[in-house]
Amino acid sequence: MHWLFEPGFFSSGPVHVALVIGGVSGVVSALVGVFTVVRGQAFGGHALTDVSTAGGSGALLLGLTPLTGFVAGGLLGGAAMEALGTEHERGRDVATGIVLGAATGLAALFLYLDATSGATSGTAQQVLFGSIFVVQSSILPAVVVLAALTVALVAALYRPLVLSTVSPEIAAARGVRVRLIGVLYMAALAMSVGLSSLTIGTVLSTALLIGPPAAALQITRSMGRALLAAALIGVATTWLGVLLSYDSFDWGSSHEAMPVSFFVVALVFAAYLAAGVSRRRPARLRDAEVR
Amino acid sequence: MATPRPLLRLLVVPLAMLVAVGLGAQPSSAAQRVRAVGAENEYANVIAQIGGRYVGVTGILTNPNTDPHTFESSPADAQEVGSARLIVQNGLGYDTFMNNMERASPNPARRVITVQSLLGLPDDTPNPHLWYSPRTMPAVARAIESDLASLLPSHAAYFEANLTRFDRSLAPWTRAITAFGAAHRGFKVAVTEPVADDLLKALGADIKTPFRFQADVMNGVDPAPQDISLQTNLLAGHGVAVLVYNQQIVDSLTRSFLSDARAAGVPVVGVYETMPSGYDYQRWMLAEVRAIAGAVLGHRSTQKL
Repeated sequence: MHWLFEPGFFSSGPVHVALVIGGVSGVVSALVGVFTVVRGQAFGGHALTDVSTAGGSGALLLGLTPLTGFVAGGLLGGAAMEALGTEHERGRDVATGIVLGAATGLAALFLYLDATSGATSGTAQQVLFGSIFVVQSSILPAVVVLAALTVALVAALYRPLVLSTVSPEIAAARGVRVRLIGVLYMAALAMSVGLSSLTIGTVLSTALLIGPPAAALQITRSMGRALLAAALIGVATTWLGVLLSYDSFDWGSSHEAMPVSFFVVALVFAAYLAAGVSRRRPARLRDAEVR
Repeated sequence: MATPRPLLRLLVVPLAMLVAVGLGAQPSSAAQRVRAVGAENEYANVIAQIGGRYVGVTGILTNPNTDPHTFESSPADAQEVGSARLIVQNGLGYDTFMNNMERASPNPARRVITVQSLLGLPDDTPNPHLWYSPRTMPAVARAIESDLASLLPSHAAYFEANLTRFDRSLAPWTRAITAFGAAHRGFKVAVTEPVADDLLKALGADIKTPFRFQADVMNGVDPAPQDISLQTNLLAGHGVAVLVYNQQIVDSLTRSFLSDARAAGVPVVGVYETMPSGYDYQRWMLAEVRAIAGAVLGHRSTQKL
């Protein structure tokens, strides 16, 4: 097994923390992300990560944990986008863009202040690209509670959410409060972005939100199966990413571990490509049968 | 066409201020005092000690509460550098901003002492915190003295006397290093960053933390989980007599090592990367040696000087 698991992997404290946070956020992002993809809100999801960047860097400035800022930023940003946005597709797009720009500007200021006035370093790296191996284990209870809350919220919303996702008109006709469902879903999205930001940073957290669900939806069109497949892909990519980063320490003579976030995002990309290939093959077979 | 008038009035005030500032910047004793810049305040302090009343010194990196590796220079700094006739900078990529500012205001008469070149160190020298090495400042002080003597030849004797006094004042520090090293050679240390490594080596320390870990923390990238575990085990297993950390850069990782050390009863010493206020160079260095000695011999922690 040495070729797969380099020495000390299973006894390493930083690895334990990384596996818990990575696994939990992989599942939560995947579950929330399936709806993001189906609802066509990938851009909104990405904008939330930019607000989370401002939140995370601002939290560090105040001496709070980045997770607090990620979630608070995401919730505020989601609320702002909902408040500014209209029912029209185009209005929503513009509102998202406005919030994204403003938040990124704030993040630039906070990251600058973190670096120059605070006695911290590596803040930009930690917030933007994640530092999962240096996250303190004391944050684990908060991560688990946040994940449970998010999953519970999505589960509670499941039926009206699916309905308002598939057809807002029919949902409204059946008495579903489409706008309220949208707001609550945005809250779930903000919390899941907070978790994935802790794992692979705010800039890359879109990859965990969109990648595994997009791959899953290429394999299956059933909502239930897509949720299951996305969650599995989410866990597999984060855990394998942690393992590869740990192993990369022994790949070169300089003994540096390459970033977890790079491996996770590369694996997500590979999973998406693989799912695309596996979907196309039956199609071609069918062509052959016809001929 | 009513707009230009208020616009003009708006411009008058700042223009007047600029002129006033320009006039005020002309020092009355410009011929007598040499303007000098120390890129780091420890070098500025030594320039002041050698130059005395004939030199006006400014330090660029002076705030011990920030990370010097993320420093960005301001327009005011650029102006200081532009008007300086003597500059002391560290080199080794630690203060590249100085080179940029010097290139922006070229002056062939300006003398620039780069400590790296003065000590003949190659560019790939891994640890840039040269001022922690006991052999650095005597050489820097000598170079400052010789440059000042050629800038103001009539005061050469004054500068030479100051150099002699400075060298003598280093003696308590170097004596403390020699005495401690003779008695405790090989004492084991964990560090978070290479800041005080040169001083620790002069004291005879056996630095147990791998250098790549120190470099990662210094450069603001995440150390490998393998190295984090190694450091945690060093502290928990009492593998070291003291944990020396950079008290200017305390991130969550450093905090966790500090609590590991506290839990294991390993004393900690917070060293400064930039000279703290209320000290001159020699008393600062002596205070750092006393803090380390206090930790190794008396099990005492020193987090702030």
